[in-house]
Amino acid sequence: MISVRDVLVQVGGRVILDIPLLKFEEGRRYGLIGENGSGKTTLLRVLAGTLLPTQGQVTRQNPNSLGYMPQAPYAFSFSVLRNVEMALENTPERRDNAVRALEAVGMRNFLAARGNKLSGGEAQRMAVARMIARPRKLLLLDEPTSSTDIRGTDSIENTLLDYARNSGCTLIFSTHSPAQALRLAQEVIFLHQGKILEKGPALEVLENPQTESARLFLQHWRI
Amino acid sequence: MAKTMDVIREIFGLLFGQDPELRQIIGVTLRMSTLSALVSALVGIPLGVILGSTEFKAKRFVNRILHTLMGLPPVVAGLIVFLFLSRSGPLGTLKLLFTVTAMVIAQIVLITPIMTGLTANIVSVKAPLIHETAAGIGLRPFQRMLYIIYECRVQFVSTLLTGFGRAIAEVGAVQMVGGNVQFKTRVMTTAIMMQTNMGHFEFAIALGIVLLVIAFLINSLVSRIQESAGLA
Repeated sequence: MISVRDVLVQVGGRVILDIPLLKFEEGRRYGLIGENGSGKTTLLRVLAGTLLPTQGQVTRQNPNSLGYMPQAPYAFSFSVLRNVEMALENTPERRDNAVRALEAVGMRNFLAARGNKLSGGEAQRMAVARMIARPRKLLLLDEPTSSTDIRGTDSIENTLLDYARNSGCTLIFSTHSPAQALRLAQEVIFLHQGKILEKGPALEVLENPQTESARLFLQHWRI
Repeated sequence: MAKTMDVIREIFGLLFGQDPELRQIIGVTLRMSTLSALVSALVGIPLGVILGSTEFKAKRFVNRILHTLMGLPPVVAGLIVFLFLSRSGPLGTLKLLFTVTAMVIAQIVLITPIMTGLTANIVSVKAPLIHETAAGIGLRPFQRMLYIIYECRVQFVSTLLTGFGRAIAEVGAVQMVGGNVQFKTRVMTTAIMMQTNMGHFEFAIALGIVLLVIAFLINSLVSRIQESAGLA
């Protein structure tokens, strides 16, 4: 389980995240939605530990079993295979696990390609492979399909669903697509100006938003 | 026309002949530039990596000092080293003034801030992305730092060669602390200046051509390294 308590993040005196209490249950899938600048990335970075909050507490039960994929994951200049292997312990199964993960995201034919020569969508698929190449208790993904085409998005969503179901890990991801949140998440958290305005079962929040901000955000989706 | 042809013939004769002074000048120049670029890289690149990849309170102030030193006029660097190494200076007993070592020291004073600044700029662009990604897959801070250095390696070579290019083309500081002593501390730039003043244009042009060829080779080497690393 992972939880945040009284977390406040300030940048240049401006509050960009303000969460009194938020708990994520083990093995569940959560989708963070909200407009640009609503605090989705900041929340994920705080949960991952790459951003220290100005104040407050983050409790992680298995900090060593956490995987975090930033919005623009870096693709190293060595081979795609090594890009995935770098996330794994140096064991005899290392290569096989990396190949299997790349296969799952449809990148079996890219093993020898240089990471820095991939397109944005390919780099994102490779980054997802880096996440699922080993068992993790918690996956934090910042817009994991923002650069992929429809096929790539479909492939990543199916891969993540399979991984989450088989491993029993907690999945927390951000997205601009309410449809994706509905497909992937069991619970949806709606953020607005750094605050959580809605949290609940995905369909319930998306179908029947309780706040004006969420209604305005979701009305575009309905169009 | 006949005179022009004579000049060209003399230039080629100097370039491909056995002129001992020209060879000696080229030798001292290459030795001094290589040594000063290497020592500056050994100091400047690690400092640049630290400066570019870490956040600390006085960073802005340090950057301001660094940018000032990057624009340090060569004669000022030469003057500082001269005062330190002169007989009445704090390092006068070492008797280094008017030696190649003094010229290397002056070059290091000039080039190290440039290498630190260039490295810090390169690292500060890549480090946050690499740090975030590497931390996300569970790599330790030391491993992350190694990957940052690895990913910037080609730019570091370019930085080193930039430093070498700066050293080989410098004239003010090496003139002051080296003294342009024949067969001892005379380098291409100081020789070009002296020969031009004396009206020996053939010798000056021959040296100028050598300098241009070296600059071309350095640029070719940088491009080659970048291409082979798949970054060009």
